[in-house]
Amino acid sequence: MDVTIPTDLWDEDSDAVITSWLVSDGAQVNEGDLVAEIMVEKVQHEVKAPASGTISISQPVEAVVAKGSVIGSIG
Amino acid sequence: MENERKLTIARAMAEATAQEMRRDESVFVMGEDIGQLGGVYGNTRGLIEEFGAERIRDTPISETAFIGAAVGAAQDGMRPVVELMFVDFFGVCFDAIYNLMAKNIYFSGGHFKVPMVLMTSGGGGYSDGGQHSQVLYGTFAHLPGMKVVCPSNAYDAKGLMINAIRDDNPVIYMYHKSLQGMGWLGTEQGATVHTPEDDYIVPFGEAKVVREGTDVTIVGVGMGVHNGLKAAKLLEEKGVNAEVIDLRTLVPLDRDTVFNSVQKTGHLIVVDEDYKSYGVTGEIITTIAERDISVLKASPQRVAYPDIPIPFSRPMERYALPNPEKIVNAYNKMKG
Repeated sequence: MDVTIPTDLWDEDSDAVITSWLVSDGAQVNEGDLVAEIMVEKVQHEVKAPASGTISISQPVEAVVAKGSVIGSIG
Repeated sequence: MENERKLTIARAMAEATAQEMRRDESVFVMGEDIGQLGGVYGNTRGLIEEFGAERIRDTPISETAFIGAAVGAAQDGMRPVVELMFVDFFGVCFDAIYNLMAKNIYFSGGHFKVPMVLMTSGGGGYSDGGQHSQVLYGTFAHLPGMKVVCPSNAYDAKGLMINAIRDDNPVIYMYHKSLQGMGWLGTEQGATVHTPEDDYIVPFGEAKVVREGTDVTIVGVGMGVHNGLKAAKLLEEKGVNAEVIDLRTLVPLDRDTVFNSVQKTGHLIVVDEDYKSYGVTGEIITTIAERDISVLKASPQRVAYPDIPIPFSRPMERYALPNPEKIVNAYNKMKG
């Protein structure tokens, strides 16, 4: 299952930056775990795991991402 | 791989503070924008939601007033954690810090305790000008009566914060903005590490050998540790095996770990984002020179901030900041 940037965290269509991955590539995660932090205009938001499993990170820290962008997957 | 629990330093500081607040009702937080905003650097996020505005107190912009109030509260049995948003702003409130906070235990013959934590941000690299970019480690570590701690990663940040809150003496908790995990302040991924949920302390006065080596000792604190580790990788490509030491606390200072390492390697480079003269780098080198100068096989080197006000211009600031290449150059100079 894809890990995507939620579409309901902020109002405008501004891009976000991934500021931290809080898990390593290949780590085991549980559904609902906090996995990444993203920032939009100096406000930080959280990205949570949509499922349990092994996470694969596809977008690195400092990548610019939009609402709905895929930043990783859980298999 | 088992489930890991990486935290940014910002989250580690907030978690440590929350855990101590649950354990001890006398702990409370004061500062500018530490309530609803959760701190400019994220280190008080989530606290006001759990503990309310009585214990998480947003203050007016008067550092003199709220740091002075914290000293009084600490002497009266509370355990305040207060934030000076930028260490650069110490000028307006230094009387409360170094004449009251640092000295009242001594002035009262030990009858009063001053169990408070003054957390404050430092560091540059994101073009914020000379009055928002200093670290000033040497300024605070120079003055007796305060402990001074400087985490380089989230694990230490949590353990040092818990220890600081439980300490009956005033502790200056100096965190580096670029290690907080806040993108616009620069991002050092090495600071975001596995951090246990249970509470634990990191002892004061115990430096940590974060990379073992045999050829040269690189000593740093905060961001300097990450620059040292990157320099060690560059040196490794040339067949040089560097040992890297994270001081973790400046007061008390673990001189033994530094000395033992230099005794082994014979070579010393000290890295510091504070100004070069009259600071931490000179103190570390003196530690070796005073104890036994014969362990040094070459003149020690320092990679520190030049003795200039920090430039606002991004390229000029980059030019002045310590970095891994400068550490490698210092090694080459030492061996040259």
